[in-house]
Amino acid sequence: MSSVRGGAPRTGAAAQHRAAGRDPRGGSVGTGAGAQRDPGVPRMSRRAREALAAYGFLLPWLVGLVGLTLGPMLYSLYLSFTRYDLLTPPEWSGLDNYRAMLEDPRLAKSVEVTVVYVAVAVPAILVVSLAVALVLSRAMRFLPFYRAAFYLPSLVGASVAVSLLWRHLFAGDGVVNALLRAVGVQGRTWIGDPDTALYTLVLLSVWTFGSPMIIFLAGLKQVPRDLYEAAEVDGAGPVRRFVSVTLPLLSPLIFFNVLLTTVNAFQAFTPAYVVSGGTGGPADSTLFYTLYLYQRGFTQLDMGYASAMAWALLVVLGAFTAAMFATARFWVHYGDER
Amino acid sequence: MFTSHRPTRRATGVAAGLLALALAGCTGGTSVGGEPAEGATGADAGQGEVTGDIRLSFWGSGLRVEKTNGVSDLFVKANPGVTVTPNFGDFSAYFQKLNIEATSGNLPCVVQLQGRQLNDYAGKGLLTDLQPMVDSGAIDVSNIPAEVLDTGRGTDGKLYEVPYGAAYDSIMVNTTLAEQAGVGVPAEGYTWDDFVDYVQRADAALPEGVAALNLGGGLPNYFIEYVRAHGEELFDGSEVAFTQDRLVEFWTMWEQLRQAGVTTTAQDKSAEATQVEQSYVATGRAVVDNKPGNQLGQARGALAGAAPGQELTTIQLPSGPDGSSGTVLFTSGWSIPRTCDNVPTAAAFIDFWVNDHEANALFASNNGANTNTVELDSQLQDPALDPSTRHALELYQQIVEDEPPTVLYPAGYQANFETAFTRAYEDISLNGADVRATAETFIANLNSALAAAQ
Amino acid sequence: MSTQAPARQPAVLRPVFPRRPSRNALVRAAARHALLLAVLFVILYPLLWMVGASFRPENQAFGTLGLWPSGFTLDNYREGWSYGTLNFSRYFLNSLVIAVLCIVGNVVSCSLAAYAFARLEFPFKRALFALVLATLLLPYQVTIVPQYVLFNELAWINTIMPLTVPKFLATDAFFVFLMVQFIRTLPRELDEAARLDGCGHLGIFRRVILPLSLPAIGTTAMFTFIRTWDDFLGPLLYLNDPERWTVTLGLNGFLDNTGVSSFGPLFAMATVAIAPIVGFFLVSQRLLIEGVATSGLK
Repeated sequence: MSSVRGGAPRTGAAAQHRAAGRDPRGGSVGTGAGAQRDPGVPRMSRRAREALAAYGFLLPWLVGLVGLTLGPMLYSLYLSFTRYDLLTPPEWSGLDNYRAMLEDPRLAKSVEVTVVYVAVAVPAILVVSLAVALVLSRAMRFLPFYRAAFYLPSLVGASVAVSLLWRHLFAGDGVVNALLRAVGVQGRTWIGDPDTALYTLVLLSVWTFGSPMIIFLAGLKQVPRDLYEAAEVDGAGPVRRFVSVTLPLLSPLIFFNVLLTTVNAFQAFTPAYVVSGGTGGPADSTLFYTLYLYQRGFTQLDMGYASAMAWALLVVLGAFTAAMFATARFWVHYGDER
Repeated sequence: MFTSHRPTRRATGVAAGLLALALAGCTGGTSVGGEPAEGATGADAGQGEVTGDIRLSFWGSGLRVEKTNGVSDLFVKANPGVTVTPNFGDFSAYFQKLNIEATSGNLPCVVQLQGRQLNDYAGKGLLTDLQPMVDSGAIDVSNIPAEVLDTGRGTDGKLYEVPYGAAYDSIMVNTTLAEQAGVGVPAEGYTWDDFVDYVQRADAALPEGVAALNLGGGLPNYFIEYVRAHGEELFDGSEVAFTQDRLVEFWTMWEQLRQAGVTTTAQDKSAEATQVEQSYVATGRAVVDNKPGNQLGQARGALAGAAPGQELTTIQLPSGPDGSSGTVLFTSGWSIPRTCDNVPTAAAFIDFWVNDHEANALFASNNGANTNTVELDSQLQDPALDPSTRHALELYQQIVEDEPPTVLYPAGYQANFETAFTRAYEDISLNGADVRATAETFIANLNSALAAAQ
Repeated sequence: MSTQAPARQPAVLRPVFPRRPSRNALVRAAARHALLLAVLFVILYPLLWMVGASFRPENQAFGTLGLWPSGFTLDNYREGWSYGTLNFSRYFLNSLVIAVLCIVGNVVSCSLAAYAFARLEFPFKRALFALVLATLLLPYQVTIVPQYVLFNELAWINTIMPLTVPKFLATDAFFVFLMVQFIRTLPRELDEAARLDGCGHLGIFRRVILPLSLPAIGTTAMFTFIRTWDDFLGPLLYLNDPERWTVTLGLNGFLDNTGVSSFGPLFAMATVAIAPIVGFFLVSQRLLIEGVATSGLK
């Protein structure tokens, strides 16, 4: 099979043509109907062999799951039914934490803040990162420079330096207000105002759109060029090509990015450190769910409650993920579909 | 309890050097403490061989780390066979790590705490009572004034921390701008009423873009100092002792000043950076603010860059109506966790830190004024002492003379009072919440949180 | 997939820049570059400002909105590199060692697991994959404590083991899921062809899936590098000895709400800290993004 690598002309999909060309059953390549299992092969042994191989491949992950991940996860589930202040052993308290969550005004506030943040930031990040990825996937000069430059903001993360930068931009005497004043508009203290502080964090997250962009770029590289050329020959304009070629082929990665960007936004934590040093201020207007969880767990030493919050979030995100997977078959097109 | 401190390269080098010393006739490992006091012997009294490794944890950065490590080096030199591994981080990272280490019984042997958090840890039985070590002579505290030493006591009266540095808040005034506004610096012994009058007069004569006073209604320490100046207690055991009326009065005072435009806006206050160098008073945007007295040097340095030519000074906080002091001391000190497996060395370190002259001269009151009065005097006699530090230390001496009020903080104080207080006032100043209703909710929540933390 | 299937043709080798640019195209290209640079300037302004501030004298770090240093100085870099007891040469080395180990661990373990999930049939597949996702959905803040207890029991505190060993065990579910999605975009006919050539599962994985997944592997390596390089909490909890500190712990040492903060050296070292990531990106981005396409052209 060294020919796949050595002879691959330009794209993965092109390699696929060669490889597929050797498939004696040929068939309509790319429609997903290509490879049916030969019923003549002894089924049981092949299935058993495959399962064995699969568990071999999964071995490191399984060791990690059992040895390092599952224990702490289940322990946190147990903690969610206890009173636990970190400093003394946990005490069983049944559903108290979950009941308390129902009538906690700060929790309600944090849910509101998080939902607004997710609703605004996620679509913005996805649109911007896909748009930039499309621009940067075309052949042009200085492409490596542009890619690196657009990725640069994501590299600094949400560090101390960024928090100083953001204050520098959005404080009362910051850059944004200086620009507004130049065009005669009266600014405001963006990061100090409960009405606007959250949106400066939305901007921060859109500013660091690099990760989904890189994933889109890598995916776009796997779209075979000849598909575009074929579509062009068919007379499809750029919009049509995007809708009927790019989007379907990119859909597994769009799926990934939608899911992960949403999950990340629900778990947003460090951005709040940028404006409020982790308090969630001004007046709880940037109190993200996980930030509140963290405050309860580590500042107020109420790890039982924090664990209950974590598992409540897990259930919500699990439902969201399940829904995403359920809808996936209507719009996600995998290259391995049979 | 497993501890995995392998000797660091530096420590190995030190150890090699010490070995050479030992071969030259020095003994590896010395004992401290004279005759044991009655009923206190062995490790509980801090006695035993001073040897092996201890972890020392503290918050701080840059210079403080350098100085702390310098003291550790001196200690190691004086006690062959000992190594000290420093653990440090900024204030919030420090406590996060400390709490997680506590869950595994993996706390360092010498831990830095403040009175504000002391009872969180002491109340859970995590700290050793240091009194037997004081009684046995392992830790000598004779040069620390009794009222300062008391800030290291738990609610049960036991000594859980040896306070070595005393910080205090002060009113920081931009004297240049105050002169320009024709108000000067408040006279000694000024009261809270005088203070309000002072900032109002200053406001009337200040240029645009400069506030007379930085908004402070959400600063917990301001309120603590306000309550103590009025001769009232903050807490009684684990319950709130200040009245709702006092809190309403305090917030109403700030709201009046804010609405009259005397202070910075509520939005600007929320946007202010936490580092003193970036604060409004240190950048010439506010004339008066409440700042820790030992930050004068940094604030002066920052102001020299932001508004060249302007000067800053610090004075005591306003007094109460009867003239009693409104400045509260906040001490930092060393504690020994119960899980420490090398108590003699930990006790010897604390004793060395508090009493060794060379060590104190090196650390030079880097974390609040030195509580050892002999060492403090010796620092003030040094003609090379920089003017800001001198001013800060002299103000401390003046404060101590005025018999400052002390505050005993219940377990759960830091977690449930400080940010909640800021948040409650933000609700008033930014969202227009009702002062009385907010005060009522704040006190009710605080009481139930403190009860839960015991 | 049906939309484009009928139009597929055998691959034709064509140069990437096929046409000689016309005058019109040149103008369009110039306009495009101008637009990109303008957008870039807005996006990069905060960073440029930070770099500018790192060359300004300490007490003027903030005074100005402009980019150009008013009084140019290298003091911040000199001071920052060996600030107090901080030793950035050491921290860079430590960070690098940890990052390289994490990259190797993640790439190997996550691609193995991903291949199984993407390509093989086995009992409990759906349940196990749901577990992969579940580990992504639980906020990590609540597993910090049990994990610390666990690593403490294993006597891994004050070593780099808690930071690196989990990566070799594919505990970063993000990357498992990412690789699964990538591998699933590859047509399965390739596997079948390889199988007919006599390849077993390991052979298919090594000779078909891995080479075609270079963009995914590159992405994994890149993201792992950044995450590890930026990680603060992990090193904070697990590395006690300052000799073992990483760059992020060092940067934290410049700011202190209770003492002296040093903004100039902070900006200088923050700038230096980004440099390796940018370098890594520039060197590897051809591999990451161009992936197979490039290798085919040679």
